[in-house]
Amino acid sequence: MSNLEITFVLNGERVKVVTAPDALLVDLLRDTLGLTGTKVGCREGECGACTVLLDGKPVNSCLLPAVKAAGRSVTTIEGLAAADGTLHPLQEAFTEEGAAQCGFCTPGMILNAKALLDANPHPQEGEIRQALSGVLCRCTGYGKIVAAVKTASQSRK
Amino acid sequence: MDKTDAKDQVQVLTKTKIDLSRLACAAPAANAVVGQSLQRTDDLLKVTGKLKYQADLPKEDCLHGKILRSPYPHALIKSIKTDKAKSLPGVAAVLTAADVPGRNGFGAIIPDQPVICADKVRFVGDGVALVAAETEKIALEALKLIEVEYEVLPAVFDPRDSLAEGAPKVHAQGNLISHDKLRKGDVEKGFAEAEVILERTYQVPFLEHAYLEPDVVLAALQPDGVMLVQGPMQAPFTTRRNVAPVLGLPINKVRCVQIHMGGGFGGKEDSPIDLGCRAAVLAWHTKRPVYMSLEREEVTLQTCKRHPMIMQVKIGASKDGKLTAFEGVIYDEQGAYASLGPRLPPAGGSHVHAMVMMAGPYEMSHVKVDAYLVYTNHPYGGAMRGFGAPQVHIAHEQAMDELAALLGISPLEIRRINAFKLGSATATGQVLDQSVGLRETLEACEKSFGFSKRFKQAGYINPKSSKRRGVGVGMGWYRTSIGTFGDGCGANVHVHEDGSVLLFTGITEMGQGAFTVLPQICAEELGVCLEDVRLVKPDTDQVPESGPTVGSRSTTLMGNAIILAARQVKESILEKASEMLMVPVSRLRASQRKIFDCENPERSLEFKAVATACMATGKRLIGQGWWAPPMATLDKETGQGNPYHVYTYSTHMAEVEVDVETGEVAVTDYVAAFDVGKAINPKALEGQIEGGVAMGLGYALMEEVAIVQGYTKNLGLNNYLIPTIMDVPNVKSVILEMTNNLGPYGAKGIGEMPNIPATPAILNAIAHACGGRVRSLPADPEKVFWAIREAGGPPPR
Ligand code: FES
Ligand code: FES
Repeated sequence: MSNLEITFVLNGERVKVVTAPDALLVDLLRDTLGLTGTKVGCREGECGACTVLLDGKPVNSCLLPAVKAAGRSVTTIEGLAAADGTLHPLQEAFTEEGAAQCGFCTPGMILNAKALLDANPHPQEGEIRQALSGVLCRCTGYGKIVAAVKTASQSRK
Repeated sequence: MDKTDAKDQVQVLTKTKIDLSRLACAAPAANAVVGQSLQRTDDLLKVTGKLKYQADLPKEDCLHGKILRSPYPHALIKSIKTDKAKSLPGVAAVLTAADVPGRNGFGAIIPDQPVICADKVRFVGDGVALVAAETEKIALEALKLIEVEYEVLPAVFDPRDSLAEGAPKVHAQGNLISHDKLRKGDVEKGFAEAEVILERTYQVPFLEHAYLEPDVVLAALQPDGVMLVQGPMQAPFTTRRNVAPVLGLPINKVRCVQIHMGGGFGGKEDSPIDLGCRAAVLAWHTKRPVYMSLEREEVTLQTCKRHPMIMQVKIGASKDGKLTAFEGVIYDEQGAYASLGPRLPPAGGSHVHAMVMMAGPYEMSHVKVDAYLVYTNHPYGGAMRGFGAPQVHIAHEQAMDELAALLGISPLEIRRINAFKLGSATATGQVLDQSVGLRETLEACEKSFGFSKRFKQAGYINPKSSKRRGVGVGMGWYRTSIGTFGDGCGANVHVHEDGSVLLFTGITEMGQGAFTVLPQICAEELGVCLEDVRLVKPDTDQVPESGPTVGSRSTTLMGNAIILAARQVKESILEKASEMLMVPVSRLRASQRKIFDCENPERSLEFKAVATACMATGKRLIGQGWWAPPMATLDKETGQGNPYHVYTYSTHMAEVEVDVETGEVAVTDYVAAFDVGKAINPKALEGQIEGGVAMGLGYALMEEVAIVQGYTKNLGLNNYLIPTIMDVPNVKSVILEMTNNLGPYGAKGIGEMPNIPATPAILNAIAHACGGRVRSLPADPEKVFWAIREAGGPPPR
């Protein structure tokens, strides 16, 4: 099978890349495009560390063929802060609450939380937990992550 | 004194005051940096995705290393043919045992694991050949082309079978690695004095650390002949100590560089040695950098696990609840290789650690424990957040509850009667002469949780539900330091003429917060701000020997080394400031970038200005600190002595709901109290507590590496389950500070303690809720279901 050229919007900018037809989005992002903020914990759709937003919805990029991104919009952790470096309220809240320990789950947590807050700006704790239930964290016990999402939701007017 | 850290509402209860005499000024202001919940120094990188883990670093010119693993738990290697693999285009090297340039063995303490097996394999996953190729795909292809002929041997999978006469020998010298003994008083006499005696066996399985970042390493031979080994590692010095002899090099020709870890929990003490030695051998032969990364399944297959144990307990008490004697036997399964197995004297080995802690944090005159560390044909045991202690806490804390039930007293009562206090003697005869806040943690927990009241209210949550609610308590103690030879820590502090500071230590960051807490201590001691201190990341070429980042030792032991290093510089600074201000040194104090006269704080100098003056006049601005805890003592025959210099204490209380129809358990409420000596960064400390409780919850309810006849059945995160955000309740932490005279600002270790009492607290709560007790973990729905049936079925409504 020959390689394909695909075009998609990555963190707000149009990109055109050549990819193998069987390449996974996570590898395209990390290896071809150099965006290593997306992590790989399992490659089996279990840990959520590889979460990116596809048209605003969280997906495990380790399961998604890169070609599926064609014509769509992909947001990774690198795309959250403003161009001038101003942090997204969730990034702000994660630092404030001490919600990142080793940090390996953090990008996935933040992106899932972003999808939640974009759809539901003031979620209940149960809704937060539900929304983040696809991401594993071995370090924090999740309490400070929940607190950070609450803090971020409050900081939004 | 009760105070609330205003910044973030972490509750800190200060019980004893720190000894002020060691500070320069008689009446110092409160600590400006230590004790504050300062934001972590690497947070910004983490939340933006900019923090580079090893897998994120460039690997363009690297060969990819892969390991051919044994398909059998125990077999002889009759022959290996590598020609086909070698001739595959893109393959740079295919190595077998004869290609290891130096010692063909590695291990954190005992180097009995072959880098490449020569004649025999001892577990499914043992390495029989190594491949390096231009791409990962080619390397994997090459593995398939290696032809190995095995002669399968009978294998052993249970430590008791392993000790039986005629059992297959895992290693030529026999299967018993060590039998250690603890003998205090006369247990016969103690049991004769008892009015109630309980005998039980508790059992725990292998556990996987399940750090989110899979293991990965880069090895590259430098032009000057130095081997660079780089990756996530908890013990760069131990890795170096292994790579050097494997290559036949002196230690100073191996350089280990630690890259930020995506979690370690003890597992990345061993695995970087394993991976590092193998990648280094490939790099040695190919003269190319070799990148070796494990898939999740390989992590589970190859790396060390928490030791499984079979623990027999006999415990006696008088009618009024006073413990009279404890007798225990521990079968600690080491698996195929000894790794951190015992080094004598005086301590070491998970079984020894388990042995000295097995009777629990309770006063008793008569204790006898026999601990066996045994080889089997399973994956090897390694440190995992407590190194033997979580296991025995599961035994003694459940036994305490079962004994209390026999005596007809409450779980709190039996602990109040027997818990350690200042002056108590432990099972090893160690007199606890300072910083013993165990009882205080119990009362703090009770105050917050209201255990006594809730204990009386067990029952169905409502008349129609099949769920019953119950509460449980778990108490614990844990060492600070590893207690063996080699517990020293070095730190260097460099102050520059502009007042900025470099801090060099070999303590690694794996998410626990060392790279924040250690600079905090440095900043406090020098009298500067946290932002002024830049920590140099662990690199064995640059930082002083610090020992491994394990044993809850980093903050406490390294903290002391940093204080000593900083004081050498501070001496210059204060002397110079004294000249400049014409005020005696004894009246000077440094805080928040100012040196000032205590008696007249208006008279002050900028730290920076004094540093500039020191530089200009040739005064020393470099400090070197070294600190080691008092040497451990433990008698080989009696297990008596002082194995560790100080302990952290804790009590946990949990509420659970058990569905008596399905056996499902939910943990619904949780309080945990700790005596930590001093909270250097309360928020980071709270993070350790919450994460530890979650890990203890996983141990109680769901985690088990399921190995059948030597083959691991749950290699992925889809079937090796760890707690999700839906499983872990909000945890309330209570922090008590009973000053440790040997700790920086009074601190004791905290990394491991939080997961230890969590498991038995939850198990005790399950038993309280439904009457069924699971003595062989995990307490998954099936086991809870049957435990309820064994106990006579669901309690009547
Ligand atoms: S790496 Fe994609 S879910 Fe784990
Ligand atoms: S912070 Fe380490 S896995 Fe979540």
